[in-house]
Amino acid sequence: MLIGLLSATPVVAQSEELLPEGLDISFKLIPGVTVVGMMLLFLGVGYLYKVANTGDMWVAGRSIGNVENGMAIGANWMSAASYLGMAAVIALSGVYGLAYVVGWTTGYFILLIFMAAQMRRFGKYTAPDFVGDRFNSDAARALAAVTTFLIGFVYALGQARGMGLVGMYVLGDITAVVPLGGLSAYQAMMTLFMLITIGYLALSGMLGATKNMVLQYTILIVAFLAGLLVTGWSAGYSTVLPQIEYGMLINDLSAEFSDPFAGGSYYLWIATCFSLVFGTCGLPHVLVRFYTVQNERVARWSCTWGLFFICLLYLSAPAFAAFGTALYGDQIGAVYGDPGMTGAAGDVIVVLATQLAGLPTWLVGLVAAGGIAAAVATTAGLFIAASSAISHDIYANIINEDATQRQQVLVGRLSIIAIGVLTIIFALDPQQPIAALVGFAFSLAAIVLFPMFFLGLWWENANRQGALAGMVSGLVLWFIPMLNEGNFGLVNGGDGWGIELLTTWMPAIGSALVATPLVLAIMIVVSIVTDEPPERTKMMVRQCHSPDPMPKDKTAADIVAEKTHKTPPADD
Amino acid sequence: MRDTDTHEHSSEVSDSRDTDGELTDVEKEQQIDYLDVEINLLKPATPFMRDHLQIIWLGFAVWTVTTFGPITATRIAPDLMTTTMPAIGFPLHYFLIAIGAPSAALLLSVWYARKRDQLDEKYGIEQMRIEQMETTTETASEEIATADGGLE
Repeated sequence: MLIGLLSATPVVAQSEELLPEGLDISFKLIPGVTVVGMMLLFLGVGYLYKVANTGDMWVAGRSIGNVENGMAIGANWMSAASYLGMAAVIALSGVYGLAYVVGWTTGYFILLIFMAAQMRRFGKYTAPDFVGDRFNSDAARALAAVTTFLIGFVYALGQARGMGLVGMYVLGDITAVVPLGGLSAYQAMMTLFMLITIGYLALSGMLGATKNMVLQYTILIVAFLAGLLVTGWSAGYSTVLPQIEYGMLINDLSAEFSDPFAGGSYYLWIATCFSLVFGTCGLPHVLVRFYTVQNERVARWSCTWGLFFICLLYLSAPAFAAFGTALYGDQIGAVYGDPGMTGAAGDVIVVLATQLAGLPTWLVGLVAAGGIAAAVATTAGLFIAASSAISHDIYANIINEDATQRQQVLVGRLSIIAIGVLTIIFALDPQQPIAALVGFAFSLAAIVLFPMFFLGLWWENANRQGALAGMVSGLVLWFIPMLNEGNFGLVNGGDGWGIELLTTWMPAIGSALVATPLVLAIMIVVSIVTDEPPERTKMMVRQCHSPDPMPKDKTAADIVAEKTHKTPPADD
Repeated sequence: MRDTDTHEHSSEVSDSRDTDGELTDVEKEQQIDYLDVEINLLKPATPFMRDHLQIIWLGFAVWTVTTFGPITATRIAPDLMTTTMPAIGFPLHYFLIAIGAPSAALLLSVWYARKRDQLDEKYGIEQMRIEQMETTTETASEEIATADGGLE
């Protein structure tokens, strides 16, 4: 089951039913209120902001400062994967888990030097819009939309798993009260929180409350850092700087925690890290942040600030993992070996650590609520992106060009329900930990979308045929290792094909190391042997690199249209 | 906003010409219309892009070392890399990976953003004045509709 990710790991026991051992599973009022309160606060403040400045949000609103935008980047980044999954993978797989810390932070530098400012100048920020405009192709737009949908779905699986597991701490085993047709405690809780997510989505839609990212970031980081600080303090591991002080603890932990290749081979480390780095540069919800700034200088500095805010979390997660591992070893049993810590307990290690440190329920509840709120808010965002890809880019652009607003909204809603149901079904029995599930989405972004953005911005001769060939082969290349390892349970009832060679050299979690260069090569070769793109497209790319300032409400296409005294293309 | 057609800078950068009368980079740059130059990552077509790409590639090289270097060094010399560090107690490889790599990326980002600002200065590119920046930061708390939050 875990062959792909943990092939070189000592067996990590995965119980049939997802039940984090050691976690106090019971109904708790205060944590429950905290979860609801946090989400209502996100909605409420978002709504107030909307009331405060109506109207020209799109145009005039494109002027957010460095720090605010940096925090928004941080908030976008804070999903269950960062909040829960990263400490989990570090606790379970030791140094291999650090590939996630490195991949999910250092990727921002690549994004900064190669794409942030150029993206801002191009002015198209969703993957389908960018690909459609840059490569003048509806087919390319549709492929990008399908990819966006898939990314949202795979990413959401990890979030759903996180909600279900942490939800059990907050609300207990609801199947003990209301039997739900044989669902396990995890399954019932995951389903419940997915329904809450859909409700959150609907509410924020009705209120028009765009998430207040600054507030969201602040609440989540405070919950996480306070939990870490108090845990370290009360367990006697650290005083004021747990992010450094956990170093003294490492030698007391089992060797697996810090042995270089105990949790995964060198190749697997590099492949995973590579996938996460370039996935960062291809993820639509990351790139969108550069559209919201007033100029390229702010794009650059807010990317830098974003990395700073992300580092606050990412330098702390290993400390949480170390404390959790130590407490688990003291109070529950050996962390590694057989039976060892289960994947389920790993995924809640952040909550488990605070609980085992004997902290009061409200404080553990705050940490748990942070994890759930991060998962719910991220999932809501992903679902919106996925549904707009379907309703706007596929339905209104391709299937029914005369679609009315009503029809589009209807299709959008239906696709949210569809992706919600899909997520619930596939998250009933997730075979991988949170971090790996989300990692698959990064592989996909790195393989299919990153080459489009990168070559699209940096090589004017990249053309439609190249993009189409690249995206199609990219999707195929992503699916091969996924199916080989039996993810989604689609092949051989979840065993996959199990081709040894592929599992070793093209693991799903790090498939981008092989596939991204391949896709880049395919795109380059096909672009060279086919016709060059039209002059207008080339000029758009050139405009992205000009050092001259651009007015903030203009896209590269507008400038080119003005220059050539033509109207912008009515359709791509 | 300012005039969009800023391609012809009204050169406040009145750089001196080279003694032999050749154009300086800055002057060459001012005569270039970007809509006419080829964009190719490997063949920078203008002095500005050449300077910019130099910074980019240098940053990229350092980034490669700080990101993939520690784990690679650990693969090559495991004993040396796993020695315990004095004072803070980390095994060296753990420290370099968990703390070194993310911090290095952060420092590199600051370095790049600074460098790029200097480049703007060299070529007389004005993004936004300081006063303007400040006023925007104050009004900036408005959260705008984004793709992930831009609800229908």
